[in-house]
Amino acid sequence: MSGELLTPHMRVFAVVVLLAFLGWVTVLVRHHRLSLRDSLIWLLSTFAALLVTIFPQLLVWTARALQIELPANALFTLTFLYVLLNLLSITIAVSTNSARVRRLTQECALLRAELQRLREKQLPPASGDGG
Amino acid sequence: MQLVAAPPRALIIVPAFNEGRNLPAVLAAVRAACPAYDICVVDDGSTDDTAAVAARAGATVLRHPVNLGIGGAVQAGYLWAREQGYDAAIQIDGDGQHDPAYIAGAVRPIFEGRADVVIGSRFLAEGGFRSTLVRRAGIRYLTWFLRLRCGARTTDPTSGFRAAGRKAIELFATWYPSDYPEPEAIAFATRNHLRLLEVPVRMREREHGQSTINIGRSLYYLVKVSIALLLLPTRPDLLSLPEEPSR
Repeated sequence: MSGELLTPHMRVFAVVVLLAFLGWVTVLVRHHRLSLRDSLIWLLSTFAALLVTIFPQLLVWTARALQIELPANALFTLTFLYVLLNLLSITIAVSTNSARVRRLTQECALLRAELQRLREKQLPPASGDGG
Repeated sequence: MQLVAAPPRALIIVPAFNEGRNLPAVLAAVRAACPAYDICVVDDGSTDDTAAVAARAGATVLRHPVNLGIGGAVQAGYLWAREQGYDAAIQIDGDGQHDPAYIAGAVRPIFEGRADVVIGSRFLAEGGFRSTLVRRAGIRYLTWFLRLRCGARTTDPTSGFRAAGRKAIELFATWYPSDYPEPEAIAFATRNHLRLLEVPVRMREREHGQSTINIGRSLYYLVKVSIALLLLPTRPDLLSLPEEPSR
């Protein structure tokens, strides 16, 4: 049954794609374009996808456990979950970052006002606003 | 323990986004109404001369390099108020719809220790601009929902005319909602056991430019605020209001 689920040809193709993806993520991390923290969810979930591709029997078990008739549908479900999970983690990161940007923007404004106040104390007010 | 010697200091926070045209009149009116209070204009990433106009009027200008929206702008004002140790902060809109003559009445309950947050309500005042029928219905709904959800009694939850005492300044500096923040801020304050009070305030229609709220946004406003109120955090970490370490 597991042989029918994915043809050897398909499996090789999927494994190559997933390995390439893992390699890409690794390169990104090594070149500091992706933090290890953010890459973990990609590495783990891609690794899981790789496991399922190499051992399709896992998929058959999953399908049986979820009472899904076609293992292929279990595959789609898992794929969907995989994408959703990663998407959510990105949204969380975006929210965190916008909260930080907000706080930093405010801090900038406060510091600038403080600086302006110090300048006015030091210089005679007639010397212009400095542009 | 109490230091009664110095008169209480109050800061008037005026969030402004491209309000260069309205601002001179607004600031002049504020100056005339409350000469003893400091004014802090938060220029929320304007592309016009808002910051220059505010500085010329003698206000402290908090200038955001990027636009944060009204919530972020107001919070910047509260951060400044906290840092500078003000006893009260009053927020009024930069578009001229709030009459500064009502500021004194809004701060009084705070200085008298009767309230932590004072809301200026257009529905308690006689006459003045009361918004359209549809928007009033929305406001009624928010009033009802706020009372249901956290027992906050207010007649004008969307009003941007507010006064805050020391505890409220501390709270709002720590966290303030974004994206149509007014009703949520009330809920947040009530949740943190701040005392709420309303005073009548007459509002006007803005003189120049468009109001930022149209029908689609009004709908978004209601949905967003409803969800926010439903998911209201208890945030026990903020309940205690820790002392800010001196810098």
